[in-house]
Amino acid sequence: MPDPLPLPLVFDQVLLSPRAATPFSLTVEPGETVVVLGEADSGLELLGTLALGLEDPRAGRVHVLGTDLSTLPGHERLAFRRRVGYLPAGDGLLQNLSLRDNVALPLRFGSTAASREVEGRVDVMMAAGRIGRIGGLRPAQANEEERRRTAMVRALAFDPALVVLEQPFDGLSSRVAGELLTLARGGEEAQGARRSALITSQELPPALHHRVERIYRLDRQGTLELEPA
Amino acid sequence: MNVIGRLGSLVARRLSQLGALARFGFGALRALITLPVAGRAVAFRVTMNQIRFTAVHAVALIVLLSSILSFLVISQAARELGSIGKTEWLGTLLVVVIVRELGPLVTALAVAGRSGTAIAAELATNQVMGEVRALEAMGIDPRQYLVVPRFVGGLVSVFILMVLFDVVAVAGGLLAATFNGMAAGRYMDVVLQALTLRDVWLTVAKALAFGIVVGLVPSFYGLAVRRGPTEIPIAASRATVSSIVGIFLGAALFG
Repeated sequence: MPDPLPLPLVFDQVLLSPRAATPFSLTVEPGETVVVLGEADSGLELLGTLALGLEDPRAGRVHVLGTDLSTLPGHERLAFRRRVGYLPAGDGLLQNLSLRDNVALPLRFGSTAASREVEGRVDVMMAAGRIGRIGGLRPAQANEEERRRTAMVRALAFDPALVVLEQPFDGLSSRVAGELLTLARGGEEAQGARRSALITSQELPPALHHRVERIYRLDRQGTLELEPA
Repeated sequence: MNVIGRLGSLVARRLSQLGALARFGFGALRALITLPVAGRAVAFRVTMNQIRFTAVHAVALIVLLSSILSFLVISQAARELGSIGKTEWLGTLLVVVIVRELGPLVTALAVAGRSGTAIAAELATNQVMGEVRALEAMGIDPRQYLVVPRFVGGLVSVFILMVLFDVVAVAGGLLAATFNGMAAGRYMDVVLQALTLRDVWLTVAKALAFGIVVGLVPSFYGLAVRRGPTEIPIAASRATVSSIVGIFLGAALFG
């Protein structure tokens, strides 16, 4: 019998802030979209940082796709991050690149595929994110929705098994937020979405509540409570 | 704290900063050596862009500075040396003062002031806007994408501009010499007699040393920004001052 697939994301007894009374534990199962809501000073912003291995936890462990990133040396950790899609708060687009070049950058830099294949994949992804016609714009020339769509498409560049999204829907209409969630989940299968996702935000548009598997609220003491369905 | 204590603390701070800069430099060198095959084309494109901004866009400035400086120095010298019948010293003067000393110094200072400030401000903005963190999250080493192209671009640009400065200086000197009654052939003879292979090597060595300063110091200060936009002008200012100090120290060491 083959080994079961590793869990996409496990936070095990992680201390999110020095004043948190309770260690934080959370598991994202394959095909699940889990949302953690909380205030800015609840330690919420640390979840994405820890999931990407940009920082090591002060206490506890974080396993991403079955790997404890804190055990990996720098260059391996860097390469590992290509397996996780990340949409940072405030989009993190490079201002001196066009939207298309922003999407293409991780592929051009980190993929050994031929240039034509890379550009072909970028075309497909831009079309999927409905930004194909504005690829030549710089981030400063695009509106918030276009920038967020670009950041989402860039996060999916390597077709990752797990995506971590920070405040992905802030300031967007429910329709656009729904489209971005569909993109992030990567299509639906019998056992759930094709891709697992962790979303951290202060609020989630009500129209999306029924489209995610679990919603938690994190308070300043580090207590995590499951929101009623 | 007494004066000696304060002085000691200041020296310790400066030494610690120097150590951090050296670590940063070695990190950049390591990033250059370990640049993945896939990333080379991207890094090359960014490097060419950096050379365009640093070298190509500075051509007019360097031509202006070099021609004015050489014209002034050779005009004055041609008159004075002509009055004592020692015009053959003109070549030595041009080579020692302009080609060997002022050329590299003025070029490096111009690049540090023009592009060093821009690099520091750009990288500090990248840091504040969360772009550096986004690069790391995408599996891209920011040193390979941001620092290496600026380092290599700075190095190449300083070398190109130094050669340009020297060529324009010789041409400017020719103009000044002929204005002051010296035959063009005689001028070229004395200049070529004064030029040695050592001058060529010195130019290369200085280009390398000043290029390292101009390419690395602004990147170091730009990426050191942590808190917010108010640190950006501070980083740009520190980068410029430190580059200028580094260039003068380098010039003194070569002297």
